Amino acid sequence: QNILTVCFSVGYSAVALNHVIDFKEKKQEIIKPVSPSELFPSLPIVQGTSKRIKVLTRLTLVVSDPSHCNLLRSTSANIRLYDIIAVFPKTEKLFHIACTTLDVDLVCINVTEKLPFYFRRPPVNMAIDRGIYFELLYTPAIKDSTMRRYTISNAISLMQICKGKNIVISSAAERPLELRGPYDVANLGLLFGLSEGEAKAAVSTNCRATMLHGETRKSACGIVYTVKKPRKVEEEEAAVPACKKAKTQA
Amino acid sequence: FERRVLRGAAEHHYLRVRLELPDGGARPNAAQFKQLVVTALRELHGEVGAALPVDVLTYEEKTVSAILRVISSGLVKLWSALTLLGFYQNRRCAFRVLQTSPFLLALSGNSRELVL
Repeated sequence: QNILTVCFSVGYSAVALNHVIDFKEKKQEIIKPVSPSELFPSLPIVQGTSKRIKVLTRLTLVVSDPSHCNLLRSTSANIRLYDIIAVFPKTEKLFHIACTTLDVDLVCINVTEKLPFYFRRPPVNMAIDRGIYFELLYTPAIKDSTMRRYTISNAISLMQICKGKNIVISSAAERPLELRGPYDVANLGLLFGLSEGEAKAAVSTNCRATMLHGETRKSACGIVYTVKKPRKVEEEEAAVPACKKAKTQA
Repeated sequence: FERRVLRGAAEHHYLRVRLELPDGGARPNAAQFKQLVVTALRELHGEVGAALPVDVLTYEEKTVSAILRVISSGLVKLWSALTLLGFYQNRRCAFRVLQTSPFLLALSGNSRELVL
């Protein structure tokens, strides 16, 4: 709760609380997310606007096995309560599956160790088309200098493949002191090789797009679209005599 | 009369920063603060970063806040080094950059702390 108070004072307008599920341990159940209203009776107002700060809930699945992905397709009610779903693939195959077929909003990129696989262009391009964003964390860079090197090197290799599109930078802060302001984080994006506009978008526009992606994923079940049928001409001819009949009757 | 247009940003950038230390103990004095900034630059950008000409223009020990001046080309390096600094004398700390501007006069007013 302290962390959230600091977030608000530093100037963020929407915060997502993360819950990580690791499948290596057996029998992990998806827990219902903590409702934000339990933490704060009334959310403070964003500086400069008159809207309240949004607090969302987020689930991260650490997958190291293709069978773990079945959970996403299951109709467990608790998954639907989370606003944003992220997946953390550990192997190249899983990265490919996550980018192409899985129903997620974010793909987390590991920053704490050297990536065991190289990024390839086809799955990354497909993910960009589908509207999936890649996420980088910056808090390990504050804690440890080895992690700083891994963060920057993984980020640079990601930039080379995706050219800076669809990137979200977020913090995995566990203490209020590990949080940094939005402009500071946008500056970190410049270090990773993004251009200035892309860096600011990584903190603002892309995050909002992720939120909307999560909302559409929750609400959309099917698509209905109408097509003009060529039968319309006959209907018109049929309609005309009906009108004539009506007039004569009246 | 003739009209002169000056292109290019000013040569220095000014940053107002505050170091947040969870109330642990001694606050750094001015020299230690400068040492901390140079250490942060060295940790992230190496010797070349540590050699970046940074000046501490004012320093308040009570609130541990300062105004720094840096060459415009070194703004990104300095800002990122301050952001990624985690520890001061084995105590956790955080740098909060309050304002930044190429003009020193702009740092005197803060629209975020405006009380209407």
